[in-house]
This record gives sequence, structure tokens and C-alpha cells, in this order.
Amino acid sequence: MRQRLLFPCVLSFAVVSGLPLSAQEEVYLKVTSPGLTRVMIALPAFPSRPGTDPGGASTLLATLRKDLDETAVVGVVPEENARLVVVAPGNPPLTYQRWRAVGAQFLLDGSLAGAGNQIVLEVRLFDLTSGEIAYSRRLQGAVNLAPTIAHTLANELVHLFTGRPGPFLSRIAFVSDRSGSKELWVMRWDGSEAQQLTSHRSIALSPAWSPDGEWLAFTSFLRGNPQLFILRPTEGYLKPFSTLPGVNSSPSFSPDGKEIAFAAGEDGTTDIWLAPVQGGTPERLTRKLGISTQPSWSPSGRQIVFTSTAGGSPQLYVMDAEGTNVRRLTFEDKFADEATWAPDGVRIAYTTLIEGLFQIAILDMRTNTRSVVAGPGNNESPCWSPDGTVLAFVSNRTGAKQIFVTDPLGRPTQITNEGNNVQPAWVAQVQ
Amino acid sequence: MSSPWSNKLVPFALCASVAFTLSCAHRKTVVAPEPPSEAPAQATAIPAPGEGTTEVRPEPRVATAGHPEGGVTATELPANLEELNKAGYVKDAFFDTNKSELRSDSRDSLAADAAWLKEHPSVRILIEGHCDERNTEEYNLALGWRRANAAKAYLASLGVAADRIATISYGEERPFAMCQNESCWWQNRCAHFVITAR
Repeated sequence: MRQRLLFPCVLSFAVVSGLPLSAQEEVYLKVTSPGLTRVMIALPAFPSRPGTDPGGASTLLATLRKDLDETAVVGVVPEENARLVVVAPGNPPLTYQRWRAVGAQFLLDGSLAGAGNQIVLEVRLFDLTSGEIAYSRRLQGAVNLAPTIAHTLANELVHLFTGRPGPFLSRIAFVSDRSGSKELWVMRWDGSEAQQLTSHRSIALSPAWSPDGEWLAFTSFLRGNPQLFILRPTEGYLKPFSTLPGVNSSPSFSPDGKEIAFAAGEDGTTDIWLAPVQGGTPERLTRKLGISTQPSWSPSGRQIVFTSTAGGSPQLYVMDAEGTNVRRLTFEDKFADEATWAPDGVRIAYTTLIEGLFQIAILDMRTNTRSVVAGPGNNESPCWSPDGTVLAFVSNRTGAKQIFVTDPLGRPTQITNEGNNVQPAWVAQVQ
Repeated sequence: MSSPWSNKLVPFALCASVAFTLSCAHRKTVVAPEPPSEAPAQATAIPAPGEGTTEVRPEPRVATAGHPEGGVTATELPANLEELNKAGYVKDAFFDTNKSELRSDSRDSLAADAAWLKEHPSVRILIEGHCDERNTEEYNLALGWRRANAAKAYLASLGVAADRIATISYGEERPFAMCQNESCWWQNRCAHFVITAR
């Protein structure tokens, strides 16, 4: 993940580049309770270096401030407090003390320079208690990519504090009928920049990203029967993946990106199958478990959670990636489906049924406890953010089915409006 | 194909009109799917709890509105497949919520279908499995697949050659009726018959 963050690429244009002045691989301060222990960063405006007139400076700073403010782990010292701080030239300890007095724990100090169409940002993150430089970075890119530079920096700061990538370059693939038929779309994590990926005028279902964000697997009725395809969104390159009899639905890439688990089966059966992404003979993992569908890999790649009707109603089961050691996970739900394993490997979000309505539930595998995150209307198809701190899901609380994203405290924001928008799949970055 | 639920007003009109048909056979299929190429060569009955798949029933002669009485030979059938499908020679089978087991009324309906199909041995059919909206998309896709194949297995058990029957599931993706309750949901829980060759 670290490598990817150093060489960011948004859809196909890889323009932002740079190398850290001091590579910092370890997690600087492990933030374990999002929303409770927010690290406060002072973010004064970056001065321009003499003789240069960098464009995009205000965009860059505003984007960075907005990004960091939206995270669970990092907060930005409010501007009205920051204005009170008088910098003491030549006396960093006094300056740090003044920043600490307005609630800052870290100071992101930097400068901007312009060179032709390029802007160069150099930043250092000071630990205001020790005075140490916690992180430093030089980022360069075209002026029109100022937001991308900001997103990259925000991602790295979140990574520094959590050990996981930030969401700021992440994309959510989803299925929308806004064009008249169910097609694949992709958008930024806040709902902006929605782009249509397919125009098949058929039925597209169940998009799933490869871990590196290069491929999107999905089901399409393009050729009559439902079949699995993999699509390279940056090029529009599409290739068939599974044409087995049956539903060919709910693909899930293994964490190493080499295999896809999916659901298919002849004569009315639906089982979990596993096939190499590069092609090869599919292997059946489940047998005689009623309907078995919706596989989702554990982050370790050792286990697969899935839905099965082996016990009557649809419930969650887990098995080893070889199809062995099948055991049931949910017992108190009337219905459990659409399991998705969190990046922490501990939590599994899924869709349950409460008083006739779908609701999102989270199963903690360590304590074996379940918590229901109830909201108005039906709430289904949960999907973790790449850093595992928030969820995207689908709700009909405002009428049509729309995609919502929670904040770290679980408060949802609707991020789609047009048509029905379902089955979100979130990836850290599209390659 | 335009999704019927893309327009919030259409569903109510659809719901009202479809409610009269008592069948999911009246929906217009703009693009008829190609018959599935991987139709298995032999029928394997879907094992359903409490359901004897080897059960042999006397061939019932059920006269219904959908089955014109008297022997209609293949040459008298409408030449046009669309008209043939509109004529309602084969009736859909309906299912209980979340079930793929055949109800007795569905068995009766399928028995009549089987009789008609045996009288018209050149006819080939596609059975589409459909579901109401009260499950997740993927689960419904699997449930619809089970329903379509349960209907196929029953027809096969009544002597209809399995290679004349292709199956596909549309899950909840192509509902026949749009509403928010059981008043129309039942119409969407069906094995819908499409004649693909006469």
C-alpha cells in the first residue's frame, strides 16, 4: 500500500510525483478509537517561496483542510484558534508551545513553489511535544492536479496515524439505472465525479474491485445468461471471466488479487466457486448447502464468509479458502446476507432483517457479538471504506435506493441522487 | 432495456394494469435473451425438502383459459413467436415467499403446461425465474435460478424432454408488477414461460 501511495495515479493520469525526504514506514501514533482520540493538526497557509507564483495554492489548502476534517483520526485546528498563534521567529520551541496552547498536537508546516505548469509542495509535520519531524514530503504535479496533491498528502497523513491508507483517492463503483438500464458507474468517495463505465443496456450486477484497483469484476446479462466479466475501468477493456451454468454472481477477489470467489451452479443449485483471475478451471468450494452465494474473503486470505440456506433461512457461514471447516456464524438473525469482511479482519458487516426491514449489522469475530446499525427504511449492501473506519450502504429512506456513506460516528450522508443506485464497492485507488 | 423502476410514476400504472392479468406473461420483453447455451443435457430434479421428485402423476387434463380446449396442432399455432407467447398456451407457476418448492396450484399449472408441451413436441421454452424485491439482489438471483429449475424438473418428471427447456434467472431485476406490498409481490415470484421455438 505504501508504494502505491508514493506514486499515486487517478484513473489513467499519473502526474503527481515525488519522494519523501525521510521515509517513515512505521505508524507514528496508533489511533485505535476513531472519533474519540482525534489528532489535532495545525495547518497554517503554506507560504509561497519568493519569486514564484504557484497557482492552485488555495485549492490545495482548502482540499487538504476539508479532507483532514472529514477523517475520524485527524482534526484541523479551527482557523479562529490558529489566528491567535503568533509565530516566534527563530524560537521554534516557543512557537510549538503557542500552537499547543490552541489545542494542536502537530504542526504541518510547508511551502509552495510554482514552476511553469507545475506546483511543488514541500511539507514537514512537527510533533509539537517533542519537536521531532514526524514526516516530511515533497509533492509535485500539474496545477490542475492541486486537489490530487492534497488528497495524496491527506492519505499519507491518515496512513501515518492509522497504518491504513486514507480514503481521499478512493473510488466507489456501483450499479445505477439512471441511464435507463442497470450499468456500472464509479464515483469519488463523496459522490462527486460520477462516471458511467458500461453502456451495455443489459443488467449489470455485483461489482467487485481487485485489491489493486485495476480490475472490476461484475455480473452481466449482456449475452443472455448472467455471466461474470472483468473490466479494466481505465481502458474500458472487458473480458469474460465465468460462463458456468447458473447465476455467475457476487465475485470477490482474494486479497492477493490472484483468485476470484463467486457463486454459480447448474440445475438450480448455487454454490461458491473459486477460479484464477488469469483463467483456469474453476473449483467448487461448497456442496449441498442449499443456496450458497455472496462470498467475501478475509483480509488474511485464509477464510471466506458467505451466505447459505443450509439451515433453512439465509445465514452467514465461514469456511477455509479451500472449502473446508464450514461453520455457521449467525444464529440470532432471521436473515443474514451480503457479508463483507472489514480490513481489520475482525468485523464482518452484513445485511439482516429487523421487523421486516433490512438493516446493517456488524459481527465482531473476536467477541462473537453482533451490533445492529438501524436506520429509517431498508438499509442493505454494506461496504467498508478501504481504511475500515466507515461504511457505504444502500438505503431507500428517501424514496429510491441511494448510496450513503457514514462518518466515523455512524452518521450517514447520501452521496447519490439520480435514479436508483445500489451495490457499492469501495477501493483505495483506481489504477 | 428500460428498467421499470427508473420512473417513480410508472410503477403505479404498471401495478394497476398487471394486477388484472393475474400472470406475469403479459410483460413485454424488448430483448428476448438468447436461449442459454449451457442448458444441461439431462434434467436433474431439484431436491426440495418434502418433495418427491420421482413422483409420477396421472397426466391431468386441465382446461384453463390459458389452454385452448381441443387439440390445437402445431400448424395452427400463431406463426409469430411474440403472438404465440401472448396467447398464453403455457402458464406461469407461482411461488411462496422465499420458497422454490412448487405449490399444489403451481403443480396443476405445470401439469397443464406439460400436457400442452407434449402435444407440441417441436416447441422449445425458456423458463425465467423471478423474485419479489424482498431479498438482496444476489440472493434473489440464486432463488430465481432455483425456481426456474424446479419448474423445469417438474415438467421433466411429467415427461417433457429436458433438452426442450432452457432456464435463466432474473432474480428481482425484471419485476412484472411494481408496488411496495404483497398486493403485487406475488406476481413477481414466478417461473415465467417464454416459447423460444415453435
